[in-house]
Amino acid sequence: MPFGYLRIELLRMLRNKRYIIFVVAFPVIFYMINANLWGAQTTEGGVRAGVFLMVSMGAYGALAASMMSTAVPWAQERQSGWLRQLRVTPLPNTTIILTKLAAALLLVLPSLLLVVLAAVVTQGVSLTAGQWAALIPAMWLGTIPFAALGLVIGSLLPVDTAQPVAMLSMFALALLGGLWFPPEAMPATMKDIADVLPSFSYADIGWHLVSGEAVPLSDAVTVVIWAAVLGVLAVLGCRRAVTRA
Amino acid sequence: MEAIAFTDVSKSYGDVLAVDGLDLTVRAGTTVALLGPNGAGKSTSVDMLLGLLRPTRGRVEVLGRPPDEAVARGEVGAMLQSGELIPELTVRETVDFVRRLYPDPLDPDEILTMADLTGLVKRRAGKLSGGQAQRVRFAMAVAGAPRLLLLDEPTAAMDVESRLRFWACMRDYAAGGRTVLFTTHHLEEAEENSDRVVVIARGRVVADGTAAEIKAGTGGHAVHFTLGGQPAAGLDALPGVTAVEIRSGAATLRTTDADATVAALYRGTSLEVRDLRIAGADLEEAFLALTRES
Repeated sequence: MPFGYLRIELLRMLRNKRYIIFVVAFPVIFYMINANLWGAQTTEGGVRAGVFLMVSMGAYGALAASMMSTAVPWAQERQSGWLRQLRVTPLPNTTIILTKLAAALLLVLPSLLLVVLAAVVTQGVSLTAGQWAALIPAMWLGTIPFAALGLVIGSLLPVDTAQPVAMLSMFALALLGGLWFPPEAMPATMKDIADVLPSFSYADIGWHLVSGEAVPLSDAVTVVIWAAVLGVLAVLGCRRAVTRA
Repeated sequence: MEAIAFTDVSKSYGDVLAVDGLDLTVRAGTTVALLGPNGAGKSTSVDMLLGLLRPTRGRVEVLGRPPDEAVARGEVGAMLQSGELIPELTVRETVDFVRRLYPDPLDPDEILTMADLTGLVKRRAGKLSGGQAQRVRFAMAVAGAPRLLLLDEPTAAMDVESRLRFWACMRDYAAGGRTVLFTTHHLEEAEENSDRVVVIARGRVVADGTAAEIKAGTGGHAVHFTLGGQPAAGLDALPGVTAVEIRSGAATLRTTDADATVAALYRGTSLEVRDLRIAGADLEEAFLALTRES
């Protein structure tokens, strides 16, 4: 029964032009352009840029997907009365909230996997089976803080405000997280900010994994703390949204 | 079996009392129109029946249970006043999704036929006209074959033709022995589509009965004639007369029995009666009288 709800949540986003263009297409196009320009160079850590960029652009796509599929649609459903209509069906409130989160996580996969596919096909990126097995789940589940942030924004703000706030948050997280420019190129203050943001730690986990290095504990802790804090806020926000719908 | 039971229910928002000691029961299998002006407490009452709002005082029961339980069991379907659809989903996908949330839903084709949507199944919700979207929302409300169907001003945004089609759909559904409660401020709609009309104003029931009873209860007919300069004394004593109005030589007698009043007017008085006209009080007049008094 709850899978019917998940199904329509996925279906509608996959038919949404904005999602397809900005979330699915952009990251993979950015990856191809950048990898073509710098792909063969080697980073400070000795990793080929084509591999490093796979993580950066995959992370950007995953970040964009998790926020775009949550904040604005959720604010819209709250305001338009769709959520209210769901409330007068037998669908339990908890199922509504859990489905929203599950849908957000599943909608991360197309952009993430497409960037990985492009990296393998166009740049001949190859990792060990163990590296892939760690990288993909880490980059997938590491989007929980962003999906939760999107749901918090969508729960609290009206559509008109949720839209710019979600966009700005996403760009700030991408920029300061070092997804567009290598963090090494940042001024010191920006680097300090980046260190506490979930987006930098999230991508940093990926960068370490593809370099064959151990993941710094601080990165994992940062992501988990953000996931826990934003996750709790998201559940509270969603509950408020659903009961007031 | 009572489908709906409000027992001394009040609901206030801050200082505003939206529903004020409402007592109302609806027997299963009837179609009831909840009629009243804007702000009478109609939507608040419907929202309490759905568990969307809790009463400040009193008790609301739906099919013998608390409202949210009845909703969770799929015994209630509702079409609320506003509610947009998901633009990227087709009519069939939307209806089918809702249908599957209920334990014992209607057959998909039956829903689409009943809501007059068979030609639109593949259309995305974003491309529907206002009236078509309303029919989809009706389909969502009936999809689960709920025993109680609540419709909050379902025809508010519809043109005349859509309205007629909509009511035909509603009557189809009600014909299955189900209970329907709809709110409206269109009097003809209440009269034509319900077994019982409950008039509410300022959160209270001010009249309750069939449309005919409500008309009769407020002085069924009006007798108009030209009185000129003749004295009006004694008109209020004529049989059936409940009120007399004289305005610049024209007299209007409100009466519960127009025949008796007119007969007495000719036989029992020496007045010279000209331009006599009898008008049936319509529900509109009855309604205005009722909601003014309260």
